[in-house]
Amino acid sequence: MDWTCCWHKDVIAPEECPYIEGGEEYLYAAQRRRILEKCLECPRFTVDIQRMRDSGEQLAPLFSILTNEFLDMRIRLQSMDGFLNSKTREIRFLHELNTVLQTSMDLDEILSVAMTAITAGKGFGMNRAFLLMCDKEQQYLRGYLGVGPRTYDEAWHIWEEVSRNDLSLKEMARQFQINKLSSEKVKFHDILERLTIPLSDQDHILNRALREKRPIMVEDAFHNSQVNFQFAQTLGVDSFLVMPLVSSNRRIGVIIADNCITHRPITQQDIQSLETFAFPVGFALVRASLYERLQEEVDKLTVANRKLQEQQELIVKMEKMALVGRITSSIAHSIRNPLMVIGGFARSLLKDVTVDDPKKEYLGSIVQEARQLEDVLEEILNYSESLYPVKDRWDINQVVAGICRELQDRFEAEQCGCQMELANELPMLFIDYKQISYCIRTILSSALDYRVRGGKIIVKTWHEGDAVLVCVDDRFSTLTTSAWDSLVTPFAETQELGVGVGLPLCRTILEKSGHRLSLENLPEGGIRYIIQLLQHKEE
Amino acid sequence: MARLLVVDDEASIRLLYAQELGEDGHDIVTAGTAVEAAEKLKGEHFDLIVLDIKLKNESGLDLLQKIVKERHDMPVILCTAFSCYKDDFSAWLADGYVVKSSDLQELKDEIKRVLEKKKAARG
Repeated sequence: MDWTCCWHKDVIAPEECPYIEGGEEYLYAAQRRRILEKCLECPRFTVDIQRMRDSGEQLAPLFSILTNEFLDMRIRLQSMDGFLNSKTREIRFLHELNTVLQTSMDLDEILSVAMTAITAGKGFGMNRAFLLMCDKEQQYLRGYLGVGPRTYDEAWHIWEEVSRNDLSLKEMARQFQINKLSSEKVKFHDILERLTIPLSDQDHILNRALREKRPIMVEDAFHNSQVNFQFAQTLGVDSFLVMPLVSSNRRIGVIIADNCITHRPITQQDIQSLETFAFPVGFALVRASLYERLQEEVDKLTVANRKLQEQQELIVKMEKMALVGRITSSIAHSIRNPLMVIGGFARSLLKDVTVDDPKKEYLGSIVQEARQLEDVLEEILNYSESLYPVKDRWDINQVVAGICRELQDRFEAEQCGCQMELANELPMLFIDYKQISYCIRTILSSALDYRVRGGKIIVKTWHEGDAVLVCVDDRFSTLTTSAWDSLVTPFAETQELGVGVGLPLCRTILEKSGHRLSLENLPEGGIRYIIQLLQHKEE
Repeated sequence: MARLLVVDDEASIRLLYAQELGEDGHDIVTAGTAVEAAEKLKGEHFDLIVLDIKLKNESGLDLLQKIVKERHDMPVILCTAFSCYKDDFSAWLADGYVVKSSDLQELKDEIKRVLEKKKAARG
């Protein structure tokens, strides 16, 4: 039989099969592969089978069945192969994604990876995505970031650039974070502003997705009763996907994804994949946010630690200076007393001698020399005292908190609570730590001494004009009239000291440094002590 | 004039005070320790106390606090070799503060000032 196809030949010439293309020349001498790859689909082979059938060859129908079955199987295999390849790519993509999400503590890096994954062709291939985040106070869902093109031209430009660079997802996300994160925020600023909604708006589609913790596919958005028309107008698309980001019942935010350029329908497969992806993203965002807060606290602690170290160094320095002062003072004492006796008695004797008494000159010399030595001594002492660094810059909140801690046992003994309401960011005060802490401690102790049990004492600080005020409110205080009097009488003239010398002394201490102590009756009963600390400049 | 109690641990200084302040017409009683001073304060009347801060093994400031608590109308002048206690809170309890000097004029002036103030306060 004359065959039209070349299937029966071991080796063929190039002109015998027009279906073998450049690069497939090996098929000329490879009969088996040529039959499987070319002949079974060749129209000439179909003609040969038909000829076999026409010639009455009984195996011809069988050939036909087997050939068709083989071709079907091959198509199915190719399809499965394609499916497997796509799943392998997806797994690799998710693995790559999860590696970044699980290891990164950087909020911007996580956002870059997530948004790139949603919009990249190598990822979920959506045209555009918006991220809205719940604010710290859980009051608003705020537009945070938008990614994707705004116009067709921009879309083609982006996709052309992406296909030209052929970067991995991780590299793309990194490039995005470095080059585009800020500009994308600016680019979508208007839309992000308009997308912001209060979390209390229960009917809003975004809040519904958060509440129900499931993705919502919105179709026909402009005529959908469940979608706010203005919201649909802001997005400008008919269909979009709302994907909630929730972690351990905590609302984190929402991703809105759409195909605003290609208008490709969002499939069930897209929704499932994005839903799977949303969970680690939410988790990573929470972790990054916690890490950020932790880092802030660590920074605060580091600053506090440094301050503490500086203060410790200062205290050590003060101690050293105080020691020098004490030694000098002690020496001075040892010299001053004999000098006083020598000079004093010489003066005394000098008063009794007559003008012509030869002893007068000697006694005058003793008095004069003693006086000179006293002057020298005074100079030395003045110098040693000048070495004391008495005043320094202090955070009054730290002083107050330290004293309250110190008096904790007394508060407990009096069954009295201690509530601190310390204002943030108070200016540092140039004060004598010992003096001011003595005054605050004395006021608190006095308040605890003259009150009925229970209730609480509120210690507040705030900034007002040129002063920082420390206020002690005690509604349970029962300060006596004599105590009031002692406060309005200068300390040195205080006659009535039945309430102790603490408060008048505090007043004197504070006034000597240019500060003030005052008392007020609280309208609801009790007493308010107010220390007004002026912001002195460093001398 | 006034009856003064002088408290100082150095005998020479007590002698000097007795002579110099006595010349001004004051009646001077001396004590070398805080205990001796406290005993004399219990049994006798004084118009003013001149008190040293550094007593042997004792602090004049402790005695000052005791005097202020028990006899709060009793004027006290601290007379000491240390000028640094002038800024010590507990020293502020005293009515006067004088640094020891061979010239006792400052102490005499301070005694006069405090006694006049006390007199004025009593009306």
